[in-house]
Amino acid sequence: MKMTAPRPGSHAKSLGVMAAALATAAGSLTGAGAASAASIPAATPNYYGPNGPVPAVGHAVQGGTAYFMEGQQAPPTYIFPFISPQVCSTMNYGQLTYLMYRPLYWFGNNNQPSVDYNYSIANPPKFSNNDTTVTVTLKPWKWSDGETVSSRDVEFWMNMMKAEKANWCDYTPGYFPDNVKSISYPNSRTVVFHLNRSYNPTWFLYNELSQVTPMPVAWDVTSANAPTPTPNEPNLPDTTPKGAAAVYNFLNKQAGNPPSWPKSKFWSIVDGPWKLQSFTSTGEATFVPNPDYSGSPKPKLSKFVEVPFTSDEAILNELRSGGPNALQVAELPDEYIPELATIENEGYTAVNFASYSIAYFPLNLGNPTFGPVFRQLYFRQAFQHLVDQQGWIKKILDGYAVPTYGPAPLAPVSPFAAKSEYHNPYPFSVSEAAKILKAHGWANVAPGKVAYCADPAKCGPGVKKGLQLKFGLAYQSGVVVTQEEMVDLKSQAAQVGIDLELSSAPFAQIVSKAINCGPHGYAAPNSSKCSWTALNWGAGWVYAPDYEPTGESIFYTGAGADFSGYSNPTADRLIAATTEVPESKTAPTLVAYENFMAKQLPVVYFPTATGNPTAAAVVLVSKHLGGYTNNAYTNLTPETWYLTK
Amino acid sequence: MTGYIIRRLGQSIVVVIGVTMIVFGMEHLIPGGNEGIARAILGPRANPVTILAWEKENGYLSPVWYQYWVFLDHLAHWDLGYSYKLNQSVDAIIANDLPRDVLLVGTSLVLAVLIAIPLGVYQAVKRNRAADYVGTATSFVLYSMPSYALGLILISVFAVAWKVLPPEAPQGNTVGAMLAHPSGLVLPVVTLTLVIYALFSRYMRSAAIENLAQDYIKTARAKGLPEKLVLWRHLLRNSLVPVTTLVGLSLPTVLTAGLVLESLFNFQGLGLEYFNAASTDDFPVMLGITVLVGIATVVGNLLADIAYAVLDPRVRY
Repeated sequence: MKMTAPRPGSHAKSLGVMAAALATAAGSLTGAGAASAASIPAATPNYYGPNGPVPAVGHAVQGGTAYFMEGQQAPPTYIFPFISPQVCSTMNYGQLTYLMYRPLYWFGNNNQPSVDYNYSIANPPKFSNNDTTVTVTLKPWKWSDGETVSSRDVEFWMNMMKAEKANWCDYTPGYFPDNVKSISYPNSRTVVFHLNRSYNPTWFLYNELSQVTPMPVAWDVTSANAPTPTPNEPNLPDTTPKGAAAVYNFLNKQAGNPPSWPKSKFWSIVDGPWKLQSFTSTGEATFVPNPDYSGSPKPKLSKFVEVPFTSDEAILNELRSGGPNALQVAELPDEYIPELATIENEGYTAVNFASYSIAYFPLNLGNPTFGPVFRQLYFRQAFQHLVDQQGWIKKILDGYAVPTYGPAPLAPVSPFAAKSEYHNPYPFSVSEAAKILKAHGWANVAPGKVAYCADPAKCGPGVKKGLQLKFGLAYQSGVVVTQEEMVDLKSQAAQVGIDLELSSAPFAQIVSKAINCGPHGYAAPNSSKCSWTALNWGAGWVYAPDYEPTGESIFYTGAGADFSGYSNPTADRLIAATTEVPESKTAPTLVAYENFMAKQLPVVYFPTATGNPTAAAVVLVSKHLGGYTNNAYTNLTPETWYLTK
Repeated sequence: MTGYIIRRLGQSIVVVIGVTMIVFGMEHLIPGGNEGIARAILGPRANPVTILAWEKENGYLSPVWYQYWVFLDHLAHWDLGYSYKLNQSVDAIIANDLPRDVLLVGTSLVLAVLIAIPLGVYQAVKRNRAADYVGTATSFVLYSMPSYALGLILISVFAVAWKVLPPEAPQGNTVGAMLAHPSGLVLPVVTLTLVIYALFSRYMRSAAIENLAQDYIKTARAKGLPEKLVLWRHLLRNSLVPVTTLVGLSLPTVLTAGLVLESLFNFQGLGLEYFNAASTDDFPVMLGITVLVGIATVVGNLLADIAYAVLDPRVRY
């Protein structure tokens, strides 16, 4: 790795100042404050919860144990913060590793999707040299083994990231760390990134620096018997790619036996507010405060326990039998929302919650038969007109969802969402869909019939005469709301002669079929891999740890998650601009990108359920638990919690 | 007998290998091939770099026959592979879950046998009388009721309404940790016991009725043998044959029948583990548990055959 010294005297500006500029610019993004709850449909209740602690009754007491409900069949499974794609989940980040190993920057400021410098190890980054140099300074934090959290710990992370890109959850070829020319570490508290070009400061912070978690040099070993290294020791294994890979393999193996984690000499070195006291093979995690935690606030609870659940029924039974004494924070599954009042009476306050995500499903623009149809913007517009977002929210999701009209989530409200995101360019209208199809050469556009292309010149290039609008739509099984939504879509589509052949399969199998068959995709359009037409895995994209809703991972030509095979030079230009423009142009660039993608429909947008990304849910907080706040990125902060009497 | 056991063990190995071939073959029939499996495991954030690395790391770039050979080689050393999603060896997963499943299902099985046998005999002796009708009605209700519904009723009464028992099984790494909170085991064990009892008692009653009409029972009675001895020494042993078959066949259910109850009573066992693995395409876990269930099936049948010989000296293999 090439190391360079910082450029003295370079003009540096703090991102803290820039954040203020962005917030000011939010007026232009959201229409001068138009992003208020009033912009959201009336059917939607207070959809993102309070932006601050949920009120408790009684007076605070020191100590005690708080119990938190893990997601159904979704306990954390991996402790090593260098999380590989196969174990990449918000449970592993937000409910385990981040409690003990703090990332460089903490995201989620109460329920706002923004950085929180109070919880971060580093001060706001400073950008200089036309935004090609980024200087990060660390606060004086300590590891629990007494060592200082230093730039060497960031170097350790970056060395591993460069050596083990394929095993890093958020790696996108061409981006972090490929776009970092070199890094220098002028002193123990400063890290300087030298980039291969200018990058937008907000984007670089939210989507690239967000990926860094300092690791203690005590982990820089390749065997359990190796002596514990010290920060100033030269030639530690991580300083060569081969050595860093060996360290990764060793630590990955150390992470392989969950019940052994609490006693591990590696995993017990933490810089976060919590230490792991026990972890059962079933996923029950018990944390105790880290007495050496440098940040603030310090934990007030004496124990924090995450409880695993095997089913929604088991969750309900626990809520009904044990109530808030058994679980202080729990998520009520959507099917039990009708029982909300009864459960609230047990002693809970119900708060809504929105994770920063959008829901959509792709059509295969590279399908040999239907790709030519799906590539026509008019068809995608007609199809989007058939998605009854307001109806689904009201009747299927009990109001616990927000519509999705473009790439930026509408909840929680953020300065990232453009005004256009709050208005549906293609509102639900069967007649409008029929009108569009008829105008483009399709016949039999009527209920009970299957539409076919009667005039190929109007249907669009590549669409064969006589082609019938009859194609498959596979969706995730086991989620009632997804099934009901897809059945409704089939019913609406049938009104205009589109015959959707529904089928369902588990999430993993739906995702496994979603292969990009477009230009720069991963499969030849005539291969069997491209036979899929539409796939809905029940969610779209969760913006974490790419916290700013730019489209380089999902809509850029050839992007890893561009499942549709969507490719548009204008979109590529607009996406590139969101990552590259100076800070002063962040807002208008995002507006341009979001406006374009809302109208272009690279995917079929559908309502984003509040709660977790796949199903509507309500968070229940015991009336005797204070300090609980929702986090837009589902990261837990039980160090703010306290019990009351 | 020894020769029979050796023959059966030989057949068993062939059966288990056949089962592994089917599951292994199904893994490779997934649409999208290796890339499809990689995408299923890596999720929406997979990209060509991570997919290739994952395929390489997990041996998917080798020919299928070689992959199967490696699997068999590892199996011979009881190395069942590594779970893609749970980041644990399959051996560790089984070692964690199996003892807990044995505790839950094994206890229920033993209790059900201990209740069903005397009750079945009692009903046979008192057949077509009030006690028999009550017993028959009870077992019919329990037999026809899904274990899920029965469990929910018990939870509603004892955990939710009366709050005298917890609604979930104890969490813990070991059997000892679970036994430290025995109250949590009551509802799942009672639910499963009642379901199994209903089945066993019907078989026991039928077998006992059939044997009561046999000449050797009449002879025993004619010789003036006390009724108690007639029932326990002569009737019981001969009536146990069908129940023995059932118990033998139930052995693999120790691993799988708990699925519904595991889900309901918040009890992470092998049944749920297999279900989740199937949902997430975690093939090493699926293969490992399949092998285990195959072995349990074979062992269960073998034990039943041996039990026949013990119960009926006329049986020769």
